[in-house]
Amino acid sequence: MEWLNPYHLQVASFMLINAILGVSIYVTLSTGQLSLGNAGFMGIGAYTAALLSTQHQVPIPVGILAGSLLAGAAGILVGIPALRLSGVYLAIATLGFGEVLRAVLINWESLTGGAVGVAAIPQMGRVILAWAGDRGFSPESLGLQSNQFISLAVFLILLLCTILTVAFFLRLSRSRVGRAYAAIRLDESAASAAGIPVTYYKVLAFSQGALLSGFAGALFAHATSFVSPGDFTYHRAVEILVFAVFGGSEHIFGPVFGAAFLTVVPEALRSISDYRYILYGLLLVLMMVFRPQGVIDPALLRRVRRSGKGTPA
Amino acid sequence: MLEVRGIETYYGNIPALRGISIDVPGGSVVAIIGANGAGKTTLMKTIAGVLRPRSGTVSFLGEEITGLPSHKIVRRGVALVPEGRAILSRMTVRENLEMGAFTRRDAKKALPDMDRVMERFPVLKERAGQLGGSLSGGEQQMLAIARALMSAPKLLLLDEPTLGLAPLVVIDIFSIIREINAAGTTILLVEQNVKQALKVSSFAYVLETGKIALSGPSRELLQEPRIKASYLGQ
Repeated sequence: MEWLNPYHLQVASFMLINAILGVSIYVTLSTGQLSLGNAGFMGIGAYTAALLSTQHQVPIPVGILAGSLLAGAAGILVGIPALRLSGVYLAIATLGFGEVLRAVLINWESLTGGAVGVAAIPQMGRVILAWAGDRGFSPESLGLQSNQFISLAVFLILLLCTILTVAFFLRLSRSRVGRAYAAIRLDESAASAAGIPVTYYKVLAFSQGALLSGFAGALFAHATSFVSPGDFTYHRAVEILVFAVFGGSEHIFGPVFGAAFLTVVPEALRSISDYRYILYGLLLVLMMVFRPQGVIDPALLRRVRRSGKGTPA
Repeated sequence: MLEVRGIETYYGNIPALRGISIDVPGGSVVAIIGANGAGKTTLMKTIAGVLRPRSGTVSFLGEEITGLPSHKIVRRGVALVPEGRAILSRMTVRENLEMGAFTRRDAKKALPDMDRVMERFPVLKERAGQLGGSLSGGEQQMLAIARALMSAPKLLLLDEPTLGLAPLVVIDIFSIIREINAAGTTILLVEQNVKQALKVSSFAYVLETGKIALSGPSRELLQEPRIKASYLGQ
């Protein structure tokens, strides 16, 4: 089991958290709303889970659920006034929300610990190891070292969360709700003429995106055991947007691919990791010129499916 | 069936409708005619719930629907075909029709209705799998009307259905309007094509700068000197 490298597992884990963040912006974008507030919602989820588990000894799953729901509720509160805005105006307003939230995290020191952040958050893998250890389990029985087991446990939990998230929203995109989202994205007035409650579905999509960001944030907190306001900056917001722009925002696999690819590449090219944002900018410019719809679009998926008949696309 | 009483609708501080009252009896075709900027589209949008009036009431089948959101009005049986053929251009014809049935709770009846709608518009049946945006102007207008019919409306609001269409297609659209009405759907029609509109309707209102300037049975309006001079070029 030497090949099971905790570092690789950690990169893979970040890939999965980013994939959930990618889905979060995909959901909001699928009604034509461009939100840069998802880093802020991620912060709400992460801090809620972190503070509940460190200060109130709340079990991790409950804290993750609470963080997601609180972020979703914040999404409704931000989403309703944001309905009056669209396009770049909405992007600026949600960006403002993210920055306000970061300022609150830094300045509300009694609750959040200020710029230092929250440390010693129970780490999912360690908690599972301790729990299993109490019942006489030892990772050596699987041929694993403790740190291998911890990283593997985190990875598997995140993998499960990501698969469930993608499956849920894939199913959603083929449902009545998904049809309504697509119609609103294409033409709001046509959608409302067809009797679709546009306001309701736009707020729903916005808060689903917020909830998912919060979910990713809460998972992030319990995967890294440390969060600080610096984790939820403007850079993070843009990074999440880039997952969708690069990967493609017309199909759910687009941002998932974008997140996976853009997480792995800077790690694989560690030597140029400092130039990560230059790479981002360059990639974005090239993509806008050569493939504005992103790497993955429905036409590509159709082609893959046709050429690979028999094998799942 | 539809009663509009003293509607005033504003864009900001600018009045677009200044006390409009109209009646649309069940089973009829009623036309609204008037020059650009008279408020015809504003009136349709106000009835359909897209705009909210500052004062006045809209009642449908004896119940007040003033200020209800548009999807609730669709659910009650009032469907608007907006000006400029608001179809979903990147969805197929079939998907457009499916979206029209969005508000329905009787999913089982929607499929036979789709077949019936396709029968009425053979062009759409031929192009069911094609993207809405690839249709010609007249076909798009037919799709917009067909989509509205998918919500099984009791009252169909048609806003400028022949705008920008070739004369031959205009004739098609008017014969479709007659067929839909003969099949039992009440129609409120806004048209710039005054002659055709007065021929297809039984009653008509003439709108001028947000007020009703004239109204009466369509046949009489066709003979009215003011109409002849202003709209029919005679």
